[in-house]
Amino acid sequence: MRVLSKLMLAAAMLAGTVAGANAQDKTPVKLGAIEILTGPNSRYGIAIQRGFDLALADINKAGGVLGGRPLALAYEDSAGAKEQALNAARKLIGRDRVPLILGPTLSNEMFAAGPVANERKVPIVGTSTTANGITAIGPYVFRTAMPEADVIPVTLKTAQSKFGIKRVAVMYGNDDAFTKSAYDVMKATLEKLGIQVLTTETFGSKDTDFSAQLTKIKGLNPDAIVLSALVEAASGIALQARQLGIDPKVFIIGGNGLNSPKLGEIAGASADGTIVGSPWFIGKKDPANQAFVTAFREKYGDSPDQFAAQAYDTLFIVAKAIDAAGAPDSEKIKDALIKVKHTGVMGPFSFSESRDPADTSGVVVLTMKGGKFQLLE
Amino acid sequence: MLEQQLVNGVVLGATYALFALGFTLMFGVMGVINLTYGVYFAVGAFAALWSTQALGLPIAAALPLGALIAGVIAVAIDTLLLTRLRKAKAPELASLMVTLGATLFLYAGMAASLGTEIRRFPAAVFDGGAYDLGAVRIGTTQILIFGAAVALVVALMALVRGSRLGLAIRAVAENPDAAALMGINGGLMLRVVSFLSGAIGGAAGVLVGLNFNAIQPFMGEHMMLRGFAVIIVGGLGDLRGALAAGLLLGFAEVLTAAYVSSTFKDLTAFALLVATLWFRPLGLFGRAAAKRA
Amino acid sequence: MWQTLDDFYWTYQSLIHGIGVNGILALSIYVVLAVGQLSLGQAAFMGVGAYTGALLTVKFGTPFAVSMAAAAAVPALIALVVGGPTLRLTGVYLAIATIGLGEITRIVFLNWDYAGGALGLSGIPEKGGVLAIYGTLAVVLIALILVARSRIGRAMEAMREDEAAAGVMGVNLPRYRMTALVVSSGLAGIAGCLSAHVSSFIGPNEYGFETAVTILSYALLGGIGSPVAPVLGAAILTLLPEVLRPLADFRLMVNGLIIVVAVLFMPRGILPWRIARTG
Repeated sequence: MRVLSKLMLAAAMLAGTVAGANAQDKTPVKLGAIEILTGPNSRYGIAIQRGFDLALADINKAGGVLGGRPLALAYEDSAGAKEQALNAARKLIGRDRVPLILGPTLSNEMFAAGPVANERKVPIVGTSTTANGITAIGPYVFRTAMPEADVIPVTLKTAQSKFGIKRVAVMYGNDDAFTKSAYDVMKATLEKLGIQVLTTETFGSKDTDFSAQLTKIKGLNPDAIVLSALVEAASGIALQARQLGIDPKVFIIGGNGLNSPKLGEIAGASADGTIVGSPWFIGKKDPANQAFVTAFREKYGDSPDQFAAQAYDTLFIVAKAIDAAGAPDSEKIKDALIKVKHTGVMGPFSFSESRDPADTSGVVVLTMKGGKFQLLE
Repeated sequence: MLEQQLVNGVVLGATYALFALGFTLMFGVMGVINLTYGVYFAVGAFAALWSTQALGLPIAAALPLGALIAGVIAVAIDTLLLTRLRKAKAPELASLMVTLGATLFLYAGMAASLGTEIRRFPAAVFDGGAYDLGAVRIGTTQILIFGAAVALVVALMALVRGSRLGLAIRAVAENPDAAALMGINGGLMLRVVSFLSGAIGGAAGVLVGLNFNAIQPFMGEHMMLRGFAVIIVGGLGDLRGALAAGLLLGFAEVLTAAYVSSTFKDLTAFALLVATLWFRPLGLFGRAAAKRA
Repeated sequence: MWQTLDDFYWTYQSLIHGIGVNGILALSIYVVLAVGQLSLGQAAFMGVGAYTGALLTVKFGTPFAVSMAAAAAVPALIALVVGGPTLRLTGVYLAIATIGLGEITRIVFLNWDYAGGALGLSGIPEKGGVLAIYGTLAVVLIALILVARSRIGRAMEAMREDEAAAGVMGVNLPRYRMTALVVSSGLAGIAGCLSAHVSSFIGPNEYGFETAVTILSYALLGGIGSPVAPVLGAAILTLLPEVLRPLADFRLMVNGLIIVVAVLFMPRGILPWRIARTG
């Protein structure tokens, strides 16, 4: 019995090597991706999908993974609902048997889907989940998104040293995990830097009228407005602040939500002077980034945003991990991921011990001029 | 600062009032909470946006065109969805449910075909200039919104109270069967009302989209929640009440944010709503006519 | 074979839980609809139940049974307090008032830092599971069928068809309405608690207007002729987005269209039969 099984094992191994050497395994390596592809928040998911698809084409053109196997992505739509994100994760793991999941789009969805992937020991890599506590879900939860806790202190310190701000008004969207979590970081950082907070105002993420809060802020004469909001609300706030006659010198210091070309497109000159910290900038001059931006515009007729850039890099990082793992096996990929070093459009990348981005040197501070972000000189 | 806050309150209030006018008119005559109303708001804004971009129309022409298109769509939706239920004298619940399903369908359809990205009017269409009056600053769009709200209420009141058409509409609202016996074409009247309220919703969408410079398919969804509060506080079906309640809500929200805490701003609408239901269920002007609901 | 079944169960676990929980929610709205009232506050009651149960479990480590009992009691209490004034009103008014209740609870959860605020409450331990969910559903369903077949059921149907006449015939209208609202909110609270303990995370934005409307649509699709119909409606509408998933962008549209068609052409739901009476 024992001899027989050993023999069979040897035969199988032999077959395996032969297959590997001669008739190359061309079956695609399929990964899962859970993103918001429909509904009000679909623009984030679609930007991410475009980033993935562009990277996928590049990787497969260059010969795929594991010595010639093409990479494939199975998308599941979460529609922004955590139940659907959860169902999608279960389906991808239980039915499609993917060795790794990319996404989901929102931190909320990760809090639902992450524990499930972790339970089944399938690595799950968030590309846009910036809230606190994401990777604390478990050892199989990774993220390539730079958490707000790394970016915001850089922004505020720069604002303090460059513009000498002393007194600020704070505004944040209080009905959204993303903006609330960024606010928490802002509050702590402002305290640490000894910047005086004159007032803290809140709004709902779907509000369109901010005049009451802004009138109050105008009366307090702050040096700057520290703002944690999604881009829609942020644009409205910038527009209305100028409409109400708040001095253009009182600039906005934003969280990650403001880091979108849409801010300038919607708010135009009203958003001028706004500064944000960003893990990525469209105008970065390095050739990899330039090539990415050109290819993206060619394929989609639209400029990439940081979500697309993060997604683009993430797929390369994952592909490297699969190659290093030597097989599309969850456990091996997980062990390989933590060791991956990649230099992509966002700059140098590796994971920290806690599976967050380790390197914050890529963080840049941007300022808006004429409706466009540029590097703060 | 108080003066500026009062101006903010008037403008926000006028926005709510304008939106709620069509909503309450629709209920007043048809006795149905038509949830698709939020869609007309977005349709009007998108139609105006399209006409400025594709046809190069000035805003003075785009605004009525947006209203017209929204009105026509309102008539189409009403005919498609509610005529059948009206004939069968189906319960209120069924009508509410149908408009709910239609809302889901229309929002998803708009999002799929137009995308969920925020659009804005080309800068050349309308200069958002502002006037400084002492400590107070008022934008031109804001004046336009306020003016439009007042003008629409006056025009609607004149129509409903003072014209033969208005008399016929009120007759249909009061008792469709008796109205039919008197030779009034009930179906036509309902279509007229659908058109009017759709057009008001559309016009509100254009103006609000212009003021906040943000147009997207789901813009009406958020307004609907305020709309509920305004039509209840004003009294269901009461046009004058909608104007007053819209302004009241605008002031209440602004003053809460200014002097209490902006955290409670969103609570204001619903606090007013619940208080009204407890103490004045027929609304501010509490007319008995509202009892039929 | 067992492995395959096990995997199947694991893959569709949330869906299986969802069908059960939504079945209980459908019954909770059924109880209100059955006396001719309309509540859009079911989502709020569900949320209050979910938060009550989850907070007790997470912060105080109470046994599951205690969390469940509290999750039923707190929403029932709220219903009792707000029910008095709102039940004087009927139809549209009550519906809109309950929308108001929903918004108020949402804003309270958003600003209540102890319960996680906007970030929600995560790390809820898994308890109850499929047995508790379907056990509860079965018990509630049987109880409601028994009630529907009794004298009480006849009184409820009379209220639904003609309130004034029912009142004249000696049906104690306020008491029936109140009882229905309290029972219904308790049921919604239990459903919320059950679902919180199988999904590990709850957030304040999950129990808003759209959830309330979805719950209502379960009952309207199924019909309220008997308690079985809403449960079936819930099962269909829960499965629908999963079955229609390949349609991606059009899923919501199809979902909406189905609601429109169901109501327009089947105003009494897909299970229009009434239940036989014994009392």
